[in-house]
Amino acid sequence: MIALALRLLRLGGRRAWTSAGLVGAGVAVATTLLAISVGALHGLDERESRTGWRTPAEAATGTDPVALLRLRTDFAAGRPITQVDLVAPVAGATPPPGLPRMPAPGEVWVSPALAELMGTLPAGDLAARYPGPATGLVGDAGLQSPDELVAVIGRPAGDPVLLAKGGSDVVPVAAFDRTGDGVSTADLYRQLTIVAVALVVFPVAGLLGASARLSAARRSERLATLRLLGASTRQVTVVAVAEVTAVATVAAVVGVVLEAVLSPLVALIPLAGSGWFAADVRPGFLPCLAIVVGVALLATASAVGGLRQVVVGPRGVARRQRPQGARGLRLLGVAAALVVLLVVNSALPVVSVDAAGVVFVLVILAMVGAVALIGPLVVRVVGTRMAARARSVPGLLAGRRLLDDPKGAFRPLAGLTLAVFVAGFLAPMTAAVAGVSSVDATTLQVTAPPSEVAGLVQTTRARLAAIGLPATVSTVGDTVAVLPRDPAGLDRARTVLDGLAPGSVAQTEAEARHEDTVLTADLGRGALVVLVATFLVAATATGTAAAARVLDHRHTLRLLTLAGTPLAVLDRARRAETVRPLLVNGAIALVLGLFCASPFVAATAALRPSGLLTLGGVLVAGTALVLAATAASRPLLRSVTAPDQERSR
Amino acid sequence: MTSAPVLSGSRLTKRFGATTVLSDVDVSVAPGETVAITGPSGSGKSTLLHCLAGILRPDEGVVRLGAERVDTLSEGARTALRLQRMGFVFQFGQLLPELPAVENVALPLMLAGASRRAAVHRAASWFPALGLAGLELRRPGQLSGGQEQRVAIARALVAEPAVVFADEPTGALDSTTGRQVVELLCGLAVRTGAALVVVTHDPDVAAACHRTVALRDGRVVGSGIAA
Repeated sequence: MIALALRLLRLGGRRAWTSAGLVGAGVAVATTLLAISVGALHGLDERESRTGWRTPAEAATGTDPVALLRLRTDFAAGRPITQVDLVAPVAGATPPPGLPRMPAPGEVWVSPALAELMGTLPAGDLAARYPGPATGLVGDAGLQSPDELVAVIGRPAGDPVLLAKGGSDVVPVAAFDRTGDGVSTADLYRQLTIVAVALVVFPVAGLLGASARLSAARRSERLATLRLLGASTRQVTVVAVAEVTAVATVAAVVGVVLEAVLSPLVALIPLAGSGWFAADVRPGFLPCLAIVVGVALLATASAVGGLRQVVVGPRGVARRQRPQGARGLRLLGVAAALVVLLVVNSALPVVSVDAAGVVFVLVILAMVGAVALIGPLVVRVVGTRMAARARSVPGLLAGRRLLDDPKGAFRPLAGLTLAVFVAGFLAPMTAAVAGVSSVDATTLQVTAPPSEVAGLVQTTRARLAAIGLPATVSTVGDTVAVLPRDPAGLDRARTVLDGLAPGSVAQTEAEARHEDTVLTADLGRGALVVLVATFLVAATATGTAAAARVLDHRHTLRLLTLAGTPLAVLDRARRAETVRPLLVNGAIALVLGLFCASPFVAATAALRPSGLLTLGGVLVAGTALVLAATAASRPLLRSVTAPDQERSR
Repeated sequence: MTSAPVLSGSRLTKRFGATTVLSDVDVSVAPGETVAITGPSGSGKSTLLHCLAGILRPDEGVVRLGAERVDTLSEGARTALRLQRMGFVFQFGQLLPELPAVENVALPLMLAGASRRAAVHRAASWFPALGLAGLELRRPGQLSGGQEQRVAIARALVAEPAVVFADEPTGALDSTTGRQVVELLCGLAVRTGAALVVVTHDPDVAAACHRTVALRDGRVVGSGIAA
């Protein structure tokens, strides 16, 4: 039977290949996005494994540390530099990843990107801050990303730099291959990435399911014929499984390969202040294999679900007798989802950062489930109203089609509805974080012991005058503030301060908030990436579904055209049956998205300009997408309804 | 039938690539006349019907509907002409499965600009004459094959076309049902004054028509008046 299924596909002609191509396109896009999502989590793991040495496990009291470590964040050319000061009391100790040996006092190991920057900036702007020229390069094994700026500096024991204000405490390192227990920014990013992945994965799963059911009518006709000929339930199921599984497996492999091809581009999307090594965002062989197998199984299961009617009784498909209803029982599922949300909402204050991602995923799962359950009901209601009120043929056709199969009509819209849900969820969040007021980025501030402040002011003024850098030097409490007259002199002034107060952190207010700024930018960028991904899902789903529907109904469409029905009428009906339920579903999804975000930020934040921009952009893009997807299959509609198609039928 | 033809095709030739499917065919149909086009598979029956209905443009020859020349009209104008002045009955699959029977019948009227209420009212008035009373709200999937064809006949005639074209209208039916359907089709066409052109393999269908045009290899090889 498997051979028969593949033979039917192979000999099925252009129509069968086009149908298989549509299924394959949907599955391939879904797989690519799935692989990118898995790649993002893989990338975070890889990053953490390479940078964990900077927050190592502390040596227990009474044991000898392999090194003393202090971190500080410096800046040059507006970019952060991670400076790691190391004291290595034990000769021959295992060095941090990326270094061939433990740095000796006075040695400076820099990342390739920092070496490049040092080469392009005048020494007074950067290189003069270090005790000597670069000793060597930190290897990739010790870096977050290829563009990360890192300096590892060997210090002698008791170096005052280690005790200067502004950096981290000095950590006695137990070993560089063990990470400390504290909650780090990496943990926060991990949770945020899990949320982003969840927001993408559910629509992707929907696309997979919808793709596997594309052209179900073509398969159903053929399988119903087999059933009428006496094929058993098992045989019919095997034929159905074989075709979809074959197409989905090939498409899944294509999707994984596509992800690998796109990974250098994906690696350019910055997170936590830098891009990625391309290899980091490529899942390993086993995850890829799991993705391919999982996608093939999911597609198969979905296709089998779609063929249940044939398996149960062939006449049900050969002559559709009853509309495919959408029962009101679905409302129970929606109620259950809301209960989940309320429970999570009340438990949120006691949830740890580590579990926040999982909690978010639960909330998203519940809401995505609610959207998926309520969607067909909404389509049914919209169809009922359209059919009852239609005065024109397109309105009547659209309304009746929606009523005939609300679940089928909602399937291609599910992705876009979820995209609107995601937009509703993210708009208040991004608007809230974007609402942070701007801060000073021109005045350097450095904190010094109160007894040294006056002296530091004097020497700073003298040193700046000596190098010809006009600046205003003032004090506020125990802080010395330096405002260069020319903003381009900021890095030189910083170098001066670094020399006068070694190890101190001279930063502007904006630089001091750098982590928050990066996080804000990452949230905004992440929201955009998620929206683009969900819209890609939606575009694929609506486009392939519109084309598949034309293929499925091509005989009736053609006869209608022959009988004098203008193509424009059929086209308007196709548009109406997509746009109207989408607008209603979109509005509901938007409200659910805002509601879902409410435990974390006030929904009214969405009314801020950036929130409105997100929402407006999504609605405009969504509607345009549906129109474009429908329009994209118009040539196919024209082709299948052309008079000379009769002989090729 | 001596009145001026409502439909005529003269010296019609149609080629698909190197194959000549119709060659120098002449045919005309008077108002209220029923004509069967017969012949073996591949003889050019359906192509002739498509040329006469303006679905295909002949490579040579002239097609007229009344005084209007059809073959020179644009695609859009021919589509509009089919909607306004012609009706069609096909072998199967012509009804929209989502629409109740009465709305399927009302479609041509709505497409021509009638209000939905008026179109449905007029469509419903055809049901008793076709033996379909009480089935107005059934969907095509809930009807038998014969009932479906009768709904299709109602749809073809509801806008009172000048000509009805039927392409193997009984091809998917058993002989008894087929005979009933063709008698109904011919009877209603005559009663409404519409000309009927039927493409068929079935001698019984041909016998139910006023006249027969026999084709072989794209040429008219015989014509006659049914017994």
